Amino acid sequence: MKSLAFSLSFACTLALAVAAAIIWFSGESPLALWEALRASLSSEGLGYTLFYATPFVFTGLSVAVSFHCGLFNIGAEGQLYMGTLAVIATATALPHLPPGLAIPLGILAAGLGGASWGCLAGMLKAWRGSHEVIVTILLNFVAYSIVDYSILYLYRDPVSQSPETLKIPGTFSLNTFDELLSPFSVSLFRSTPANLSLVLGIIVALAVGFFLFRTRWGFELRTVGANARVARFAGMNSALSTILALSLSGGLAGLVGVNEVMGHEHRFIQGFSPGYGFTGVAVALLGRNHPVGVICSALLFGLLHNMSREIEFATTHVSKELSLVIQAIIVLAVATQPFLVSLLKRRSRGRAS
Amino acid sequence: MVELLESSLRLGTPLILAAMGGILCERSGVATICLEGAMLWGAFVAAIVAHYLHSPWSSIVPCLVGGALVLGIHAFATQKAKADHIISGLVVNLLVAGSTPLLCKFLFGSPTNSPNLARADRFHELAIPFLSALPGVGFIFEEMPLTYLALILPFVLHRLLFRSRFGLRITAAGEDPDTLLSCGVKPDRVRWVALCLGGALAALGGAFLSVSHASQFTRDMTSGRGYIALTALIFGNWRPLPTLLSCLLFGFADALQIRLQSAEMIPIQFIQALPYLFTLVVLVGFVGKARPPSAIGRVS
Repeated sequence: MKSLAFSLSFACTLALAVAAAIIWFSGESPLALWEALRASLSSEGLGYTLFYATPFVFTGLSVAVSFHCGLFNIGAEGQLYMGTLAVIATATALPHLPPGLAIPLGILAAGLGGASWGCLAGMLKAWRGSHEVIVTILLNFVAYSIVDYSILYLYRDPVSQSPETLKIPGTFSLNTFDELLSPFSVSLFRSTPANLSLVLGIIVALAVGFFLFRTRWGFELRTVGANARVARFAGMNSALSTILALSLSGGLAGLVGVNEVMGHEHRFIQGFSPGYGFTGVAVALLGRNHPVGVICSALLFGLLHNMSREIEFATTHVSKELSLVIQAIIVLAVATQPFLVSLLKRRSRGRAS
Repeated sequence: MVELLESSLRLGTPLILAAMGGILCERSGVATICLEGAMLWGAFVAAIVAHYLHSPWSSIVPCLVGGALVLGIHAFATQKAKADHIISGLVVNLLVAGSTPLLCKFLFGSPTNSPNLARADRFHELAIPFLSALPGVGFIFEEMPLTYLALILPFVLHRLLFRSRFGLRITAAGEDPDTLLSCGVKPDRVRWVALCLGGALAALGGAFLSVSHASQFTRDMTSGRGYIALTALIFGNWRPLPTLLSCLLFGFADALQIRLQSAEMIPIQFIQALPYLFTLVVLVGFVGKARPPSAIGRVS
């Protein structure tokens, strides 16, 4: 836990320094960064930060589960779109369900939609030995096509000018925190889209932790990831673990659809994800692939995402892609941390002597 | 039919250049999923330089240097800092995917694309006298300059890899770095050189996209071509000449996709997925026999 705190603060310091340098280089005041941080932590900003953190919890867990099995799931982006599509399909097919049934069914659909796409990659890896990185990347592009087709031809809102589906029935919607608190006349996040999906994310994170570290299947999955040969000699079925890991990983990514559709927009807007799936890799890595770490780093990435949006609003020359560069710096800092730390130590020892 | 073949050759060009770069990197024992990033950076640098200096030829050298620098980051992370090759590759891709729109917005006010290049600022077909008049195969000799390079390069690389000291060192660094070290050659030095060269080639593939095939840089314009090139080189068993053929095959799939778009029989979204599906089928169906360099991706 101490090392996690160290990497978090180390990576954050580096990332903030780089962000300030980029903003300064663009001819803007680096103070914009401070303003953005303040805005993101105000009551309204905090709601958006939590809203953006929610998909990162799901994609971060998704990538973390695959990491535990020694696999890189770069396909969370495609899987989350397939999960979202499944929510829309379910809600359109069953419009008259009571909320008590509709909500669990919607969540299940999101999970299964993503899991089907992950399972496909898992089967190709396990049975054909195809490299999962390339397979999941290519499957992303296939998923984009399927999703675009479905939005434009199957579920399209005929009135709307932009490519989006019709609204799903109200029984499928999750409450925002603000709606929940309104009977007590408290408004914590001033009508922001932060919703119950975050609670679902935390429950799911705990369940993933239990699965990985307290069940036999989780143990087998981790053993296959740590050493496939040992796992085979111990009589474990590594093909099955691979398929299970990628299916689970896809299912977790698919749950992003719950936050987007059931929690916020109530419809599928084409290309809504600003790369939630790809950021999942950074989230998992910074969170050391541990569910609690993933939640912490997801909150951090939610904050970063919101900050870069604020900076784009406040400046004329900086675009919100700043957050991608910051993510890259954070991952680089985590991946090369032992080297950088040893470099710093050597430097300070040299100065002392 | 000739049109379709010509278009396959054109669409195969960036894949060939990138895949040749990828062969150098991967044979030296470094897993290189950041071909995508090197290509995208090359496309960006080439478009910018051609825009400011008003000549496509002036963009070549900056583009080569840019590609070498991008994979230099990968070399630093994997060789010096001993980071995981896949993670480092993702970092490089992310860095390029983020910094290109950022720079575009800073330079031109729009994060999505660079300004259109004037006709004189981009590459054009260069017909070779006599050869282009040949019946049947003449179309090969009426191509962009970079396409000629892409057709010659695999043969040069074949000689370099299998007939030169440097090439053998690259292979040794990928197959058995310890033996190479005991011969007095540092494998990580060999890899640095291989990665910088490979990055330069991949960037050139990107340059073809922005100043030859199209006339501007657009955001994420490589759209997965780096990964397709990677599959092509795996399908070509990490050898230049078979890889040339597999790149042309993938180019054909892309050309077919563009041709079918005008047919309007199948929804366009599915046709656009064709090159990726085709790549998947090849990867899943035939690559079982592939044998990667034995030390690839191993963190020393």
